[in-house]
Amino acid sequence: MYCCISEAATYKWLRLLSINVIIMLSFTSTSTSRSDRSAQAKPPSAMSSDSVSTSAEFSPELRVSTQDITYFCPFTGALRGAVTITNYRLFFKCMDREPTFVLDLPLGVVSRVEKIGSASSRGDVSYGLVCKDMRNLRFAHKQLEDTLRKSIFEVLMKFAFPVSNGLQIFAFEYGQVFPENGWKVYDAVSEYKRQGIPNESWRITKVNDHYELCDTYPSTLAVPVNIPDEELKRVAAFRAKGRIPVLSWIHPESQATVTRCSQPMVGVNGKRSKEDEKYLQSIMDANAQSHKLFIFDARPSVNAAANKMKGGGYESEDAYQNAELVFLDIHNIHVMRESLRKLKDVVYPNIEDSHWLSNLESTHWLEHIKLILAGALRIADKVESGKTSVVVHCSDGWDRTAQLTSLSMLMLDSYYRTIRGFQVLLEKEWLSFGHRFQLRIGHGDKNHTDADRSPVFIQFIDCVWQLTRQFPAAFEFNEYFLVTILDHLYSCLFGTFLCNSEQQRLKEEIPKRTVSLWSYINSQLEEFTNPLYVNYSNHVLFPVVSLRHLELWVGYYIRWNPRMRPQEPVHQRYKELLAKRAELQKRVDELQREVTNRSASSSSERAGSPTRSITPVQTFV
Amino acid sequence: MLTGSKTTFKVRQMLPDIKERMLSQTGVNARSRDVFGLRCLPGECVLQRAVMVRKKLTAREGRGWLSGTLFCTHFRVAFVPQDSPKPDDNADPVLLGDHDVALAAIEKVVVVGPNRTKLVTPSSSLKFTPEELVLYCRDMRVICFLFDRLTPDTQVIEITYTIAKAAKSGSVLSFQNAALGSVEMKQFLSNRRRDAHMNWFESASDWEQELERCGATSWRVSSVNDRFEMSTSLPRFIVVPQKVLDTELKKSFAHFNEGRIPRWCWRHPRGSDLLRMASFQNNIYHEKDDIRNLEMVLFGCQSSLCVVVELGEELPSPADIQLAHSRLRALCLGDISTSVSVPDDKWLSTLETTHWLDYTRSCLRKASEVACLLRGGHLTVALQEAEDRDMSCVVSSLVQVMCDPHCRTQHGFQGLVQKEWVMAGHRFCSRINYRRDNDKEEAPVFQLFLDCVWQLWSQYPSRFQLTDEFLLALHDSIQLPLFSSFLANSQRERCKRSQNLGQTYTPVNGWRDVLHPDSSDPSDPPLPPVWDWSLQYSKATQDRFTQPVAPTPPLQPLLNGNLNTNPDTPRLADTIPGSVFLLSRGTFSCPANLLPWRSSSSGVYKKSHRRAPSSENVPGLERLLKAWALTDFPQALTSTSGPQGPLDPYEPLLPLLMGPCMGLWRECYLRGALHAQAFSHPISANHLHPVERLAQEVQQLKDKLAEVSSSTDPTTPTGTSEPRRTDTNLNQNTNNGTFLFPSSRPQGSGVQRAAPPPTSTNHQTSRGPPPASAPPSRSAHKDTGGSNKHTFLFGHSSGTEVRPEQRYYPTPSNAKLPKSNGPSLAS
Repeated sequence: MYCCISEAATYKWLRLLSINVIIMLSFTSTSTSRSDRSAQAKPPSAMSSDSVSTSAEFSPELRVSTQDITYFCPFTGALRGAVTITNYRLFFKCMDREPTFVLDLPLGVVSRVEKIGSASSRGDVSYGLVCKDMRNLRFAHKQLEDTLRKSIFEVLMKFAFPVSNGLQIFAFEYGQVFPENGWKVYDAVSEYKRQGIPNESWRITKVNDHYELCDTYPSTLAVPVNIPDEELKRVAAFRAKGRIPVLSWIHPESQATVTRCSQPMVGVNGKRSKEDEKYLQSIMDANAQSHKLFIFDARPSVNAAANKMKGGGYESEDAYQNAELVFLDIHNIHVMRESLRKLKDVVYPNIEDSHWLSNLESTHWLEHIKLILAGALRIADKVESGKTSVVVHCSDGWDRTAQLTSLSMLMLDSYYRTIRGFQVLLEKEWLSFGHRFQLRIGHGDKNHTDADRSPVFIQFIDCVWQLTRQFPAAFEFNEYFLVTILDHLYSCLFGTFLCNSEQQRLKEEIPKRTVSLWSYINSQLEEFTNPLYVNYSNHVLFPVVSLRHLELWVGYYIRWNPRMRPQEPVHQRYKELLAKRAELQKRVDELQREVTNRSASSSSERAGSPTRSITPVQTFV
Repeated sequence: MLTGSKTTFKVRQMLPDIKERMLSQTGVNARSRDVFGLRCLPGECVLQRAVMVRKKLTAREGRGWLSGTLFCTHFRVAFVPQDSPKPDDNADPVLLGDHDVALAAIEKVVVVGPNRTKLVTPSSSLKFTPEELVLYCRDMRVICFLFDRLTPDTQVIEITYTIAKAAKSGSVLSFQNAALGSVEMKQFLSNRRRDAHMNWFESASDWEQELERCGATSWRVSSVNDRFEMSTSLPRFIVVPQKVLDTELKKSFAHFNEGRIPRWCWRHPRGSDLLRMASFQNNIYHEKDDIRNLEMVLFGCQSSLCVVVELGEELPSPADIQLAHSRLRALCLGDISTSVSVPDDKWLSTLETTHWLDYTRSCLRKASEVACLLRGGHLTVALQEAEDRDMSCVVSSLVQVMCDPHCRTQHGFQGLVQKEWVMAGHRFCSRINYRRDNDKEEAPVFQLFLDCVWQLWSQYPSRFQLTDEFLLALHDSIQLPLFSSFLANSQRERCKRSQNLGQTYTPVNGWRDVLHPDSSDPSDPPLPPVWDWSLQYSKATQDRFTQPVAPTPPLQPLLNGNLNTNPDTPRLADTIPGSVFLLSRGTFSCPANLLPWRSSSSGVYKKSHRRAPSSENVPGLERLLKAWALTDFPQALTSTSGPQGPLDPYEPLLPLLMGPCMGLWRECYLRGALHAQAFSHPISANHLHPVERLAQEVQQLKDKLAEVSSSTDPTTPTGTSEPRRTDTNLNQNTNNGTFLFPSSRPQGSGVQRAAPPPTSTNHQTSRGPPPASAPPSRSAHKDTGGSNKHTFLFGHSSGTEVRPEQRYYPTPSNAKLPKSNGPSLAS
């Protein structure tokens, strides 16, 4: 249940990356090695990646290796073993234990490296690694090898924070070749086409082709037909950072739309923009089903009002005829960061059983999740049930807005619940619309106190997980898929989550120089597939967002605790089910063929006999 | 019809005019028990009915609304969805339909008006016409009915009063009579066969069968308590060591509270025995012979080592459980009559302060400790509780659920409840407090046990053959005062009542026949046991009690027990025979007064037994427990069982007990629809597991193949050979709206079990063309246009193997909302 999938991920890395390391440390065999989190059988399909990983192009550079280091595991106590630090990861292996204890940490997850008490009595030096993925690690070794100590610390500092040291992020050096090319997953024009855009009310504009209208927006935008490009520029002047309202999703039947933007630059004086008002009017007019437009401001109303002091603000209902403004009370990135920090304190390393629930409550993490889900639910309900178009914004329209639009689209459109569709959703609503991953995550940056960091994207994935819990058959992907995305959000192995905007990614030639996470995932889909998935097209999900029905995502936040390991190898079982399903499918096909053959022959004998009515049984797989 | 002014309706006396208001006319059509579409039980009469009512569906049922007719009879509140099929008169009576609730299960009746809510009591008067009727049930369901504008006001008011009065006024006896008192019902019940698949633990041979199953060869069944002379609360048959004679045994009863001497419960395949007993009787002189007998009874067949597990200290008392449960109830149900509901942001901490989860945890922890001791092999574990009638039931049965795969099957579990609860003398009647006359004794101990089993189930779903729906069904049945299993405090009481049949009809239970086969009046029906599920649930619902796919390690029968193949376990054979230790708070000790006859005050023991209680075994025992603590870590368990080897089926299922691992049984406690948002269309429902669906399709195709190859006679229309759907359970026609899994079910659970069957409105009624002629569902979906966003898949199949008489379901129907009776695809 607590699908602590990460061990499979670790294992995968091990399989992918271990070849070089194995030579360096001259391990006898990897077949017995198991990571500290892997008690389950290794996924059999890991073998498939073996052949891939032997590709010679890929070689993480070996930087430091030492034999005598102690890892203070908060659960099992101190472990002595050998550590290897490469430009990609830290690899610790303790041979004393049976089975072998392995710790495999991509340096990208390190948020901070601390030196702890080099002046201690026994002369041990220890380092603390604070990680972005809800754990802290402590290592120590003897003072004696002073040069070594220095080198370990320096190597860690250097390669954990390549950006601060003027180095390249590892993704640029990662040369793995996958059969699938993940950079081809998303194409804005074909995604709009899938939604039926352009149509009589919406057009695709190239006004932002060179990111001149808005440098944080994608080059391809969908806007109302009757607004010429020139007017878009005037609207952009009235919206923070030029992020004008553009189409995210259109309802295939009612033509109600989800549009996103940033806050209007109303300011203390209540400035108005005729163009912006006209623009919103035309968004409303594009949907003939409703004579109203809902503007969802993700912020608490107090914060929205406070933004007027900085020139921002919110739409007044006087200026915008037929528009109704709703505040969704979702807090800002700083509140969320603090909440996650508290959550980490509560779950790592020790959990206080007797006060677990009240401690969890005091982090407010689930409350924030609830507010985000509730906001997305209101949007989805307005669009689906009210057939009304909505405009969603927060301050800049790249954090809370991305959460809300992508979650509501996930509820509204079953395409986004497929593996590829979800990738498209992320590429579209998060990456192309400029969620600032570099700033929010701080890839390779040692400035761990940066106020721009915030777990906005993690919250979104958490919300998706909550949806999968309530609708276990509605999603093509499994929990491991979500955990893998989060793991590689930090790992810096893939280029997907680098940079802040489409423009930057283009400038850095990310698609050319790095590998996409989707290449990796789409090359072994069976690992990420939910066997319970049934494709219900046109099925809208309305989750229950009461705190009574939300749960902490134990399989992610508490996965490092060996006491939380799942009791049953759920992942393994899923794959067995997939295999079984395939086998049955084959039998169905065979039988179907036989039936058609026989009925064909028998009906030719007796034309018009009722047997002809036997048609193949419809299956959904 | 109404008295009083237009706005105030006084409650009228119900009883005098029951006759005239009775809407049903029994006897007009003797064959048909169908009254306005409601299929009545024999003798059941409809007191009131309201049309155009909508029932709010829970997440499990698919959410949304279902329209139909609401009835109140003198036994139940029934809801018949519109378009439900005409009931089959020849079918066996079912006490409760899928949408019904028994009057005895209703705790509170609340109505919601334009802007207010009101608790309706038999004496209250309504000053407004309710729009909504909410029934709070004792089993923690909350059932909500919405009246339509078109529902006549009189009907609304009348049915509200009728339900409020009927739910409050009826005594247990009148309720039983309403349900089972008719001649037809009596006859029907007395003709029912009991389920032969489970062990009822009523006769000596039942116990012998269990001894054989467990391979407990050195134990025997004693009938020393046959007339309940030794102990009033013990069953007639008890299992004691082979070597103890009944005459010796008789002298032991006095040394234990209520005469509940150590009795055998279960034998671990590695050769340990589980015993349970009450506390020792103080102030009793131990004669030399007594001591010999006591030692023999206690040590049973393991001469070496006995661990006494004291259950009083770490486990909640019945009063604690009752308090926790009532808090949990208040928290989960909320209370719209007083508008007091815990705000969402205080939900978690309030849940914590109920301590319910703490208590489940402590029971599971204790049971895990015992399971680990038993796994060690070759010792006796004796559970000791003051009265041996509450927590020892919980712990002993939990241990067996953990260790014995048989107890994780439906029939095995039913046998377990029979053995450790019903026969062992758990005071069901007092603890459930059916008559509401003894609040002091009330405590949901059995519900706590079910919650513990649910926790295990949710952590190891694939190791159970039974499902959470079975647990839920059992949980809900507790509130129906109809079952012999729950209506007495001991076997003796059940016996006694059946002997005292006299002036009036008194419930009698089934096994009376065993005791006095000739003396009873055959016209008195036995109260049914709870295990007769067909009385309460349709076949389709019962199919969901077990998993469609067999649990991963096949449940092999025990081969004469004694699975002495565990190399890791240190044999504790080097122990001085007769050592006894106390396990308390996770540590072992051997206090001097553990066994009163060994303590210094009764000098006889010392003279004859010159052994000092040694503590050298303590480390060995602690190692056994430690193994459990270490199961948290991969190294401990995997190294013994082999990382990828087959699971040892007798390796106990040890639950994770950390805070985040203890889940709330949402499907049980949060069934009230109050927290769920109501949207105009259903959004989540049940559907068939893809694998099961495929298996079913394979079977269908096979059938067709056979049919095609055999149909050489052109005059035989193919359609006739299509199995028709004759299912009676068609009330769930909302389910055709959607069919995702029920919400908040643990993921693992979905893996092996089928979701509840989606039944749909349109298939069942006299389908002419064979289903296969319907267009494939995908196109069918498209055909129906935009309003039908919620398509439907294949129907339900049950059981692990596809049966020959498998019902065939046509391709998806297209109805969207319950009230819109979509056109049949076949038409």
